[in-house]
Amino acid sequence: MDRGTCLVWVFGDYADYFQNRVTLQLIAKGKALASELGTRVGVVVLGEDIGQYVMEYVAHGADVIYAADNNALKDYDVELFTAVAASWVEIFRPEIFLAGATAFGRELFPRIAKRLRTGLSADCVALEIDRETGAFVQTTPAFGGDLLADVVTPVMRPQMATVHPGIFRELPHDPFALAELIHPPLPNLPERKIEVVRRRKEKARRASLTDAGVVIVGGKGVGSRANFDKLFQLAELLGGEVGATRPAVNAGWAGEERLLGQTGKSVRPRLLITIGTSGALQYTAGIRGSETVIAVNRDHSAPIFGLADLGIVGDADRILSLLIEELNRRL
Amino acid sequence: MEGIRSGAVSAHHNYMISGMLRPGFLVGDPGSAKGFYLLADFLLPGENTPRISGRFFDERGDMLLELTWNRLMLDPADCLYRPTPYGFHLSKSSGEIILETTTRRFPNGYITSFSGRLYDEKGVLKLDQEGSSARLVGNDSIMLTAPYQGCFGKEKKNA
Repeated sequence: MDRGTCLVWVFGDYADYFQNRVTLQLIAKGKALASELGTRVGVVVLGEDIGQYVMEYVAHGADVIYAADNNALKDYDVELFTAVAASWVEIFRPEIFLAGATAFGRELFPRIAKRLRTGLSADCVALEIDRETGAFVQTTPAFGGDLLADVVTPVMRPQMATVHPGIFRELPHDPFALAELIHPPLPNLPERKIEVVRRRKEKARRASLTDAGVVIVGGKGVGSRANFDKLFQLAELLGGEVGATRPAVNAGWAGEERLLGQTGKSVRPRLLITIGTSGALQYTAGIRGSETVIAVNRDHSAPIFGLADLGIVGDADRILSLLIEELNRRL
Repeated sequence: MEGIRSGAVSAHHNYMISGMLRPGFLVGDPGSAKGFYLLADFLLPGENTPRISGRFFDERGDMLLELTWNRLMLDPADCLYRPTPYGFHLSKSSGEIILETTTRRFPNGYITSFSGRLYDEKGVLKLDQEGSSARLVGNDSIMLTAPYQGCFGKEKKNA
């Protein structure tokens, strides 16, 4: 077996599948990176009865699957998963190892990086291979999100990064796809310190923000809870979803599940209308992939206009009311 | 610590055998006139029912039956083929299970597993039961990554 031909790895995080698509998104990005490096993309899948996830990853572009289908791994356990993933990295020596910046990915990857004494870039919003130097450049918000930092790991391997869901677009499902399947040996597993007694699904309704084709985002400049509620009217008229910036969430106008940006979700809608948002990097990190951006802000010098395809300088409440009125008239 | 095991896996349908997914596999030679074989054929997207063929024997090497693509073609020992909601099962006239297949359907794919015990014409064990799943005995299986294109014994004889 040639161990040198699969140098880009993705951790297969299947919790909450099919809602959680970040692994599929990373496979697509990993495949593009692998292509530039002349190698293949592999997915590490740990658990019990993982067949359907393995097949989904193959259908979405995985070239190689590294799998352990074992009762000892039936629950997400960060210590066991760290031990297995780290030992496999030492066997196969991938150059790059990616995971979604999910609750588990954020817990698992620092431990693996520590175990392997390598670097980790957290919550990345862009990944690319520098064509001149060949370096793997991981772009991540820094200094509280005021800057975007390009990080490289010149010496240690693998180069590890966690990435926000919604940053990259998954490849279409290909039922004809075939991949190589590898069952590496399991290391001696540490004793399980946590026993999962039961699982309970969160009751709160989660907005399908990351899948919406149209997203309306409100910031502090919307002005009030009553004004913010108009965003939902506009979203309903356009068949979209509502997102919020951190100040709007902190003001209690929207729940945490609608938060966009560095500490929230990332979206890539066809149309994003952003109202009363200044354009802070913490927020724009989550909307960079949007196809068309329309910005509404009273301040004509607001940074958000630098990102927008169309800018409207005006009062958020007035523009919102006009938009709703006009759409009601036309639809 | 056991070694590295590798193979292939399909996005559409796989068989779970010996603890691994495989898109298809073959043990023995379907082209032989009398010998044991087990063919779990590769399925293309759009095909939802696994195609199993084989010539099976009992532990003394006496022939039990021949199955071609899920159809009982030869049945010298009066075995029973019974479709189930999830596959089929083959049993001896005594009721003893020879082979049972179970196909689990997922939103985007299928996995078929086996249970039972199969022997070749010399009475050598070829498929064994290990817990709730089956494993191939010996290293003479071939993985299929495309539908089987060869012929079956009877066709070869007539050709």
